Amino acid sequence: MSNISRRSFIKRTVAAGAASGVILSGVNKIAGASETGSNKVGTLIDLTKCDGCKGQKVPACVTACKSKNESRFPEPVENIQNYWPQKKYENWSDKRDLTKRLTPYNWTFVQNVKVDGKEVSVPRRCMHCDNPPCVNLCPFSAMEQTPEGTTQVNPNVCFGGAKCRDVCPWGIPARQAGVGLYLKVAPKLAGGGVMYKCDLCYDRIKNNQSPACVEACPKGAISYGEKVELRKVAYEKAKDINGYVYGDKENGGTSTFYISPVPFEKIHKELEKQKATQPNPEAPGFPTMPVEVGNFLDTANGMASAVLLAPVATAFAAGITAYKTMKGKGEE
Amino acid sequence: MAKEKILRHSGLVRLVHWSIALSTFTLIITGMFQLPLARRYFIDQLPGLFWTGDYSITVLVHYIAAAILLSAVSVHVVYHVIRKEYNLIPRKGDMKESYQIIKSMFGFCEEPKSDKYLAEQRLAYAYMAFSFLLILVTGVLKVIKNFPTMQFSETFLSWVTNIHNLATFMIIFGIFAHLAAFAIKANWPLLPSMFTGKVDLEYAKHRHSIWCIKGVGQKEKK
Ligand code: HEM
Ligand code: SF4
Ligand code: SF4
Ligand code: SF4
Repeated sequence: MSNISRRSFIKRTVAAGAASGVILSGVNKIAGASETGSNKVGTLIDLTKCDGCKGQKVPACVTACKSKNESRFPEPVENIQNYWPQKKYENWSDKRDLTKRLTPYNWTFVQNVKVDGKEVSVPRRCMHCDNPPCVNLCPFSAMEQTPEGTTQVNPNVCFGGAKCRDVCPWGIPARQAGVGLYLKVAPKLAGGGVMYKCDLCYDRIKNNQSPACVEACPKGAISYGEKVELRKVAYEKAKDINGYVYGDKENGGTSTFYISPVPFEKIHKELEKQKATQPNPEAPGFPTMPVEVGNFLDTANGMASAVLLAPVATAFAAGITAYKTMKGKGEE
Repeated sequence: MAKEKILRHSGLVRLVHWSIALSTFTLIITGMFQLPLARRYFIDQLPGLFWTGDYSITVLVHYIAAAILLSAVSVHVVYHVIRKEYNLIPRKGDMKESYQIIKSMFGFCEEPKSDKYLAEQRLAYAYMAFSFLLILVTGVLKVIKNFPTMQFSETFLSWVTNIHNLATFMIIFGIFAHLAAFAIKANWPLLPSMFTGKVDLEYAKHRHSIWCIKGVGQKEKK
C-alpha cells in the first residue's frame, strides 16, 4: 500500500466507523463508506483499452464467462408452465447462443456505441453494488453480499419472483423459468424460476485468481483488485485523459469502475436509442448507463431514522403522561 | 332509561389500540406487496390499486406504518409499566380457567369470576405480545440492514426474513381469533368499550366481578 492509499484507507475506516454512529441521526449517505477493510474487491473497466474484440465473432470476455459458468447454466424441465394467471413464462433455454444481451446463459456482453466520432465498447454485467437493493429486498433472502463485496444469487433458494431485477437500476439479473425451488411448491400458481447473473467469479477470487473475463481479455481492459485502490486509479486515469468515471456514484456506489474518454451521458443516450430498437424494447437485459442513478432505498433510508426514533420520542411522552395522570387523579 | 356505565378504557388506551390496529392492517397489506404479487396477479390493474405494483410506494408506506406501530407499542409498554397496570399479564391457572370458561359456554358449569380481563384474554395477549415482539425486532433489523453502511451475513438475514414472515402469519391468525371472539354473544357487551371507553355496569358486575369489587372498593374509600 502506498502512503497515499494508506491515508485514504484510514480516512475511509474512520468514515465507516463514524457512519455507523450517525445512522440514527439519518446521515447515512457517506459515499463508499461500506469498506471496513481492504478485503473489498473491485474491477476497473478501461474503455480506452477495450475495443470490443473487433474482428472476433464473440468478445473474449463473453466467451470466457460462458465457458467458465456453463456447468451452472439452467437446465429447465420440458413442459414449463405459464406464470398463472399470465399467459407467458420467461425462457431462454432455446436461445443459449445469444451474446448481445444478458440472459441466464450469458452473464456479460459488450455494447458498441459511437459517441463524438469515437467508437466505444462497453462490457456490461452486474456492478456489484455497495448497498445492493437486489440483496436487501429479496423477500426470500436468496441473494447474498459476500464479505468481499460481491453479490450472488443462491439458486437453491431463489423463487424467481424477479424483484431483484425490478429494484436494480440496470435490471441485471436474468430469469429462467422451469428450474428451481418453485417447481417443488406450486409451480402453476407461484414463483417463476431462478435468477442468474455475474458473481464476479466468486469461486475463482476466493482462490486468489482473477475473474475469468479479466484473465481472458487480450487488451488488459479489465483489472481486478482491491476496491479502494482501483477507485483511486480510476479517478487518476480519468484525470489524465480528461475522461469520466462511471460506477462510483451510481446506485450509492458500486465496486465496478468504468473509465471513458467520452461522457457517460452521451453513451447513455446512444444506448437508449439502441434499446429502443431491441426486439422487445421494454425487456430488461439491455442495460443503459444513467449517470448518478439513485439507489432504490434512498427515500426509505432517509425515512428510516424516523422509524427508529419515533418510538423513543413517544415512549418519553407516554412516560410523562402516565406519571402525571397517576399523580393527578390517583388510581383509576 | 340509560343504563349505568363504567369506564373500562381511557382515551389514551383507545388511541393506542386503534393505532396498533390500523398500522398493523396497513403493514400486513403493504408487507404482502413486498412480495412480487401485484403485477403477477394483475392486482395493480384493479381500479385504485396501481400502487400495489410499485415497490417504492409499498415499502415507504410499510416504513410509515412501522413507525406508527412502533410508537404505539412503546407508548403501551411505557404507560402501563409506569402505572403498574399488569391486568393482561397471564397468571397461574389461566389455562385451566380458560378451559372452564369454554365449558361454561356450553352450560357445563358456572363461569368463573373474572378480573378486568378473562383468563383467555390474558393468554391471547401473551400470544400477541410475543408475535409483535418477533415482528418488531425483525422489522427493525430489516430497516437497519437497508442502510448503506450495514452488511450482515446471509445466514443471519435469512433468519430475520423467515421470522418476519412467520410472525406475519402468527399475527394474522391472532387477529382472526381476536375478531372471532366477538362472534360469541357473551362478549358483545365488551365491544362498545373500545369506542366509547365504557361498558354496562350490570354486565361488568356480573362477569368481571373481581375487577368491579376492586374498583368499587377504591371509589368508596375516597
Ligand atoms: C404487523 C406488523 C408487520 C407485518 C404484518 C409485516 C409484514 C411484512 C411482510 C409480509 C413483508 C414481506 C416479506 C419480506 O420482505 O420479508 C415485510 C417486509 C418488511 N418489513 Fe414488515 N411487517 C410488520 C412490521 C414491520 C415493522 C414494525 C418493521 C420495521 C420496524 C418492518 C420492516 C419491514 C421491512 C423493512 C420490510 C421489507 C423490505 C426489506 O426486506 O427491507 N415490518 N413485512
Ligand atoms: S473487455 Fe477485453 S475481452 Fe472484453 S470485449 Fe473488451 S477487449 Fe474484448
Ligand atoms: S448491479 Fe443490480 S444486480 Fe448487480 S449488485 Fe447492483 S443492484 Fe444487484
Ligand atoms: S466476473 Fe466471472 S461471472 Fe462475472 S462476467 Fe466475468 S467471467 Fe462472467
